[in-house]
Amino acid sequence: MSTSEILFWFLSVLALFSAIMVLVSKNPIHSVLWLIVVFFAISGHYLLLNAQFLAIVNIIVYAGAIMVLFLFVIMLMNLNKETEPSRNIWMKFSGVISGGLLLWIFVSATRSAGEIVGKTAMIKEGSIGLIENLGKVLFTQYALPFEISSVLFLSAMVGAVVIGKKQ
Amino acid sequence: MLNDFFILMKFELLPAVIFFVLLFIKVGTAELSNASIIRLANILLFINLVAGFFYNKDGGMFGDMFHTNALIVLQKSILNLGIFIVSLQAEAWLRTHKHVIEFYLLLLSSLMGMFFMISGANLLMFYLGLELATIPLAALANFDLEKRKSSEAAMKLIMSSAFSSGLLLFGISLMYGTTGTLGFAQLPALLNGSNLQVFAFVLLFAGFAFKISVVPFHLWTADVYEGAPVPVTSFLSVVSKGAFIFVFASVLYTVFKPLADTWYHMLFLLSVLTMVIGNLFALRQQNIKRMLAFSSIAQMGFILIGISGSSQAGTASAVYFVLVYVFTNLAAFGVVALVSAQTGKEDITDYKGFHATNPVLAWVLAIALFSLAGVPPTAGFFGKFFLIMAGAAKQNYWLITIAALNMIVSLYYYLNLVKALFMDANASPVPKITFGVYAKLAIVICIAGMVLSGLASVVYEYIYNLSTGF
Amino acid sequence: MSEIPLTHILFVSTALFFIGMYGLFTRRNMITMLMAVELMLNSVNINFVAFNKYLFPENLDGVFFTIFIITIAAAEAAVAIAIIINLYRSHHSIDVEDATEMKW
Repeated sequence: MSTSEILFWFLSVLALFSAIMVLVSKNPIHSVLWLIVVFFAISGHYLLLNAQFLAIVNIIVYAGAIMVLFLFVIMLMNLNKETEPSRNIWMKFSGVISGGLLLWIFVSATRSAGEIVGKTAMIKEGSIGLIENLGKVLFTQYALPFEISSVLFLSAMVGAVVIGKKQ
Repeated sequence: MLNDFFILMKFELLPAVIFFVLLFIKVGTAELSNASIIRLANILLFINLVAGFFYNKDGGMFGDMFHTNALIVLQKSILNLGIFIVSLQAEAWLRTHKHVIEFYLLLLSSLMGMFFMISGANLLMFYLGLELATIPLAALANFDLEKRKSSEAAMKLIMSSAFSSGLLLFGISLMYGTTGTLGFAQLPALLNGSNLQVFAFVLLFAGFAFKISVVPFHLWTADVYEGAPVPVTSFLSVVSKGAFIFVFASVLYTVFKPLADTWYHMLFLLSVLTMVIGNLFALRQQNIKRMLAFSSIAQMGFILIGISGSSQAGTASAVYFVLVYVFTNLAAFGVVALVSAQTGKEDITDYKGFHATNPVLAWVLAIALFSLAGVPPTAGFFGKFFLIMAGAAKQNYWLITIAALNMIVSLYYYLNLVKALFMDANASPVPKITFGVYAKLAIVICIAGMVLSGLASVVYEYIYNLSTGF
Repeated sequence: MSEIPLTHILFVSTALFFIGMYGLFTRRNMITMLMAVELMLNSVNINFVAFNKYLFPENLDGVFFTIFIITIAAAEAAVAIAIIINLYRSHHSIDVEDATEMKW
């Protein structure tokens, strides 16, 4: 077993375990903290896949910005208490059944897809995920989507300020 | 080159310019009254609508990121018309609102998102446009800031839209994994109908179905329509739905053409479910906005019939129906908006004896309801007629029979409301509603549109000639 | 060169997706529901990067899609949080089952 394989298994188990813990913990603060662990594990996966920029962005944006926002709101509204997880048992049961069925369909579909089975990564050089290449493509080929996302941020900001402001 | 840029992207640039003009007014020092802001915004939106009819060209820009043609121009003009009427009708509600400029900012950014979504020839552009079209709408749904229902509606809208975009993205990621491209031009050649691709397509389809509230995914619709402010509801039900229908039809016809057998059966099943459940639930509603919500779900079922025809007539009838639907549904919502803004009454029982106090509004609402029901001389009849004719081309007469039965069921609840308007007595009817020049203009446009688009057969022929075949 | 087969990564991402979906349906706390949505989006991100790196390394479509998903998730979370704050002001709770003024 090579180092990258060991790392892969470790990160996968960590990601899945913490994802389950996000949903199992009753205290929202614990959920947020487990979710941050998930994000770190996923960033580790990105590093293994040789996408360094994404790994950093993932940590900065998700763990650094979104999760801090979540924590801030939980603290602000003083929601730091145990909430019973309930919803009735049938809901959960049907959730598990339908989720399991979908997963099963997906797995069987993947196994039959010849182009995917048995592929291993063909990462040419170490530079493809680096900022320089990404930046060049982002500001030429992807200029329009970039502009659209700026409009989206502006309008999301307007909306969030109007709604969140105290009357 | 630069000229091309301005002409091809005119529809997206104009809302952007208006957006920034309004934004600068907001952050500047000048204190404008609500009335003057509304006047300015309406004039700008009118210019935006008119400018859409001149100097149009076919072509693409930014590689495969953006393209436009005559049909897309027409679709965008329909949406421009819709947003103009919505803005006219919103005046009664906005007059006393504290955040008028923000309302227009969010409305315009949502419109821009729809335009980019329609023009995008790439799954990335499609996704970005879709999110830009929905996220501001969720904020708008919360614009009755102190009402509990309003924030509930916004919460339901953003949660369901987040879930649906999750499904959509998972589908897109699998589509990318099996084909290696995101471009609409390259995709059809690479679709081979393998299990994984069909699975991806089903997820994509589910994401779409959420947005146009097709039945298993319609649960958010009624709550959001009821809780959101009426102008936002009318925008959601007409402009936003219209945009998604346009994209849905063109994506199915061009990109997923190789999977036509798969989606024909899905469309068949979903359109039957949507019509039946939409109509059955509409029968039992007490709140007029909820009734219109379920009726709009049922109308979506009819549109799916038209799209399932997979022919030139399929696209044309769907676009034509959306045009008719803009006039019809906005006329109905316009009356509801006036009543709701001035009296706060939204129950169907409140509308009893409406004709005695407000004869003009009662007639407008009645004509709109007849058109929604598809009673012959109105535009709604022709809309449904063309949709069903397009669907009938597939020789699937079960679908046609079920559609006809559903039209009868829907007739019952629409006529019930008409009866309440004209015949039922009411001890405390809605008082006389006064309405200003904006609402009058909106009503005149809607009525004229309903009459003209129904009687003038050139409208449908024009749309038919622009539509691409299958 | 990495020796991990693509199917393994896909399995991890799919499992994350369905864990997120399950959480969205079963949890009542709106903030936790929002976290479940973030899980779903992250699983999609893994899918995109993995497909890009394994199958189509010659261009960067998948990586860029991921970047845009991350940005949009941030905007969506901001608006959703604002809505939840507003809801909390009027309902004094962020339990979805307390937000059921409208039914059928």
